[in-house]
Amino acid sequence: MSKSVSEPASEYRLHPMPFLGGYDQVFSGLSLREAVGLAIVSIALPRGNPAGPALEKAFGTALPEVGKSANAANDKYRLLRLGSEQVFVLFEHATADAESEIAALIGGAAYTTDQTDSWVALSVQGARVRAVLARICPLDLHGGVFAIGNVARTSMEHLGTIILRTDEDQFLLLSASSSAQSFLHALETSIRYTA
Amino acid sequence: MIINHPLLGPRDAAEFVYLGDASLIDRPDWQDPLAAEKFHDYLYLRDNPVGNHRELWYHEQGDRSWLVVTRNTLTHEIIKVELATDVARKRGRSR
Repeated sequence: MSKSVSEPASEYRLHPMPFLGGYDQVFSGLSLREAVGLAIVSIALPRGNPAGPALEKAFGTALPEVGKSANAANDKYRLLRLGSEQVFVLFEHATADAESEIAALIGGAAYTTDQTDSWVALSVQGARVRAVLARICPLDLHGGVFAIGNVARTSMEHLGTIILRTDEDQFLLLSASSSAQSFLHALETSIRYTA
Repeated sequence: MIINHPLLGPRDAAEFVYLGDASLIDRPDWQDPLAAEKFHDYLYLRDNPVGNHRELWYHEQGDRSWLVVTRNTLTHEIIKVELATDVARKRGRSR
């Protein structure tokens, strides 16, 4: 009888893997890396937004306008206003209980859904970042139109994408985790063709 | 073609899905004595104007809002874009 048969199943340990294995590459004038450990919780606002005051109290900041983002007073949470009734909360969180943290924080004032495993997050930064994104993003990303902190839900290479400008030459891109490799391929191709 | 979204600004038409005539907002009351006749008209009868046409577009690759877009069917010029919820409320609907 071999030793492995006698080992109880509880000996096995499963470790979560990032969708792109923690991708991190530097190109000329550009870096592209997977943002690992980012939790995403969706807040659906009840019609007429009666939850506004409760959310403002919970996060210490007013809800941003549609297309804008805001940091909570404690700088832990970043609120993305994606639509008149939808907000995404992004924050660093290691365990798989992000939704209950936000639900407890806002005291049930709005409807929360855990979106962490649905999205892959890629941070792209560099002097030529706008040229790279111009090939695949239908939005005008000029600083005068799409300022730091602006956020939009659009599609790139036929894949639904959320784009957030985190700095003058830095963007955070969220796309479906199930097509993470295709999304990465679209970005790598664009990086290559604009080099 | 660019649709100037009332909340989000100019967006490419590829982000949207077209549904049809904006008169679809005016769904008949199913308890109306003439409901069968009214639903027939609602489902099957459409104007086919040359010129300005009010139509429903859905921002699927965006904020998932429904819009009423007034578009010239001859030139494709977009004259007006409204949130469908605003249009429906103006017509006395609760949402």
